[in-house]
Amino acid sequence: MVQYNFKKITVVPNGKDFVDIILSRTQRQTPTVVHKGYAITRLRQFYMRKVKYTQQNFHEKLSTIIDEFPRLDDIHPFYGDLLHVLYNKDHYKLALGQINTARNLISKIAKDYVKLLKYGDSLYRCKCLKVAALGRMCTVIKRIGPSLAYLEQIRQHMARLPSIDPNTRTILICGYPNVGKSSFINKITRADVDVQPYAFTTKSLFVGHTDYKYLRYQVIDTPGILDRPFEDRNIIEMCSITALAHLRAAVLFFLDISGSCGYSIAQQAALFHSIKSLFMNKPLIIVCNKTDLQPLEGIPEEDMKLVMEMKAEAAKTVIGQGGEPTNAEEVLLTMSTLTEDGVIAVKNAACERLLNQRVELKMKSKKLNDCLNRFHVAIPKPRDHKERPPCIPQAVLEAKAKQAAEKERRKTEKDLENENGGAGVYSASLKKNYILANDEWKEDIMPEIFDGHNVYDFVDADILQRLEELEREEGLRQAEEADDDFEMDGKELNPEEQRALTEIRKKKSLLIQQHRIKKSTAESRPTVPRKFDKDREFTSKRMGRQLSSLGLDPSLAINRARSRSISRGRKRERSPDRVDTNGDVMDMDVDTPNKKLRLRSTSRSRSKSRPPSEVVPGEGFKDVTQKGKALKLAKKSVKKRNKDARRGEADRVIPTLKPKHLFSGKRSTGKTQRR
Amino acid sequence: MATRLQFENSCEVGVFSKLTNAYCLVAIGGSENFYSAFESDLADVIPVVKTSIAGTRIIGRLCAGNKNGLLLPHNTTDQELQHLRNSLPDQVVVQRVEERLSALGNCIACNDHVALTHTDLDKETEEMIADVLGVEVFRQTIAGNILVGSYCAFSNTGGLVHPHTSVEDLDELSTLLQVPLVAGTVNRGSEVIAAGITVNDWTAFCGSDTTATELSVIESVFKLRAAQPTAIVDEMRKSLIDSYV
Repeated sequence: MVQYNFKKITVVPNGKDFVDIILSRTQRQTPTVVHKGYAITRLRQFYMRKVKYTQQNFHEKLSTIIDEFPRLDDIHPFYGDLLHVLYNKDHYKLALGQINTARNLISKIAKDYVKLLKYGDSLYRCKCLKVAALGRMCTVIKRIGPSLAYLEQIRQHMARLPSIDPNTRTILICGYPNVGKSSFINKITRADVDVQPYAFTTKSLFVGHTDYKYLRYQVIDTPGILDRPFEDRNIIEMCSITALAHLRAAVLFFLDISGSCGYSIAQQAALFHSIKSLFMNKPLIIVCNKTDLQPLEGIPEEDMKLVMEMKAEAAKTVIGQGGEPTNAEEVLLTMSTLTEDGVIAVKNAACERLLNQRVELKMKSKKLNDCLNRFHVAIPKPRDHKERPPCIPQAVLEAKAKQAAEKERRKTEKDLENENGGAGVYSASLKKNYILANDEWKEDIMPEIFDGHNVYDFVDADILQRLEELEREEGLRQAEEADDDFEMDGKELNPEEQRALTEIRKKKSLLIQQHRIKKSTAESRPTVPRKFDKDREFTSKRMGRQLSSLGLDPSLAINRARSRSISRGRKRERSPDRVDTNGDVMDMDVDTPNKKLRLRSTSRSRSKSRPPSEVVPGEGFKDVTQKGKALKLAKKSVKKRNKDARRGEADRVIPTLKPKHLFSGKRSTGKTQRR
Repeated sequence: MATRLQFENSCEVGVFSKLTNAYCLVAIGGSENFYSAFESDLADVIPVVKTSIAGTRIIGRLCAGNKNGLLLPHNTTDQELQHLRNSLPDQVVVQRVEERLSALGNCIACNDHVALTHTDLDKETEEMIADVLGVEVFRQTIAGNILVGSYCAFSNTGGLVHPHTSVEDLDELSTLLQVPLVAGTVNRGSEVIAAGITVNDWTAFCGSDTTATELSVIESVFKLRAAQPTAIVDEMRKSLIDSYV
């Protein structure tokens, strides 16, 4: 759909401004520095550029004017005629034509002078040619100055035209001046049209919008029309005539039956008959206004006859459009805009008639078939005997029943937010509305990860039951353990055994102490090198003695010590096999007597270290063997490089093959290699 | 009664909320405007819960539910699941579904008795829907669209479907669902019905772009405010013809 928006036409500068704009742009946007000494081609080019650039700018500016002003033949006939009435089509076309001629003239001037510039033989001549070219262009623009001024005026006026959509639902109000047209539009829309007690208060078209049955209607208030020959009508009246002629709208013909507008009913009836050709094929309603001054029943006999004649005429247009002959009541309505009596009835009747007409037309169009499904309500056929009732809580029904009787406003989160610093400052607690067995639990913090496990993996519906089970089991275990401890600590050891036990404990604590001392001083290394061990305190003999005093055979230990060369530090033992490790840990976990250890579950399973020789499949290789092969190849390829102590492929040196100092200069004596 | 509202300048309110007869889920927004629109209407009757799903705010498209239960996609975090379990009444079963198509709201459309689902949903998911939501499940398309959850919205009282649904399809769907159906639009001509409207048996919320005509169609077909679906063919017919054709 074409949108008619004349508000976006760019400003048309007057002749002088136009020239200033273009010339200053040329000055700013082309090079300005030139010297006599430049090559002549460069000088020519410099000035040709100025001429061409100026022409381009003129062309652009003039083209926007020509393009942006609507062509009266291309726009909707309503706007075409309205613009003709307001601005005179001939004058308008002439102005645009002049602009177009100016555009062509400027192009021609530029072309000529560029040609001449090609023969310019000095800076001075080139410059003179440029000045002449620009001067002639400006003269052309100055000559169309009046046209530009006229177009600017039209632009300003057009921007203030009401935006009437000629294709939408429209209600048109017409009648003699001062019969209450503007009062009516003020009553039914939010338009604020000036109402004064003299004729021709409204001098142009005014638009308002009103709603009826979910649809929006455009209401157009027209200036009053006098009953006189077409040629004598002024511009103000012609606006109304244009609207009546071209808009497919519902027409309300206003009739002042009180005669307080200064025109008799006979005069108004004459107007009606003279413009009735404009009402053809449009829903027409004759509205008798100002019933507060003069009710319709009270008017004189002959006037009543005239009114009835008009009514019959209006009813004819209804039948003329081929529609159902609406009952005659709807063709003649009475109202009073002062008391607002019947105003809404008039509006509703007009909207309804217009809607009926539009629907009737649309019912015949092809487009209707695409939308048929949208006017269809699919009502379900029963497919079984199951009841599927809606589920509306009792509270809702009750609330509906009392319905705002005393609906106390709930304090919403938004209110809280506004009280507590507004959006971005206030942050509502998500836990506020939890539905829990105990309200005190609401703000409890629940860990997400506990001992390396995701807590929610263990959350179950029957978690409480399982917890109880576990606790029971633990109770049993603890009882058992208490028994075990009792046995271990038992005092029924005989005295000999008890002595041995104390001996062992004493020794143990001693050893631990010594170890700690050693560890803190030298990380378990022997603190005294052998060669300084003058007293031979740490000999294998002494070890043998000590061992045999404990009743052990020392020979094995002594042999072992001797077979080993002295080594510094303690070597780390090889870690046990990975498969075993896992099992061991598990086993140990089970039967460690230490309660503390057992209670604290291992936070995570031990990471499995991978033997260095093992090849892990992956990285795009098919299998382990393929990857192994690739690794081998890779190693081989870098072998030589590593041997040469190169860092990588890029680590290479190309020596200067022919050093300059060796190959230049005279060589009287000495070698080429070394100088 | 239908309310027009916006979520942070977006009219797709069905994306950011999920309304059922037993609860209402609302996305966590920058301000409380959206939440309070629901709160003032519903909080006296059903819990209105602010939540995210899978860390996102498009909760209406990710979850599916009715008064019996709530199905959440597999990427819902444990914390969100716990939050929802805490916030919803015990009668509502909250269940996470291991389904490849994680936008359950787009794939499932349901009321308290019947559900329409995407044709490619897993067998297990289908069973889960039947169990958790307590509904009959039908694999269906709407006007050739497999995302049934996006292109229709229905309650136990009525339903609105994609505007290109043919009359035969409308009748068939209506018989399946056992509610009156109308083809229509929301949000000034948007075809993604469920994105623009969220509805239960007694109230509806739609995007603020929704026109008066659309709103009146919605109010009639969902039987809000004592209007009946037949009004669409009777008194509103002319207005509809004039605005559509």
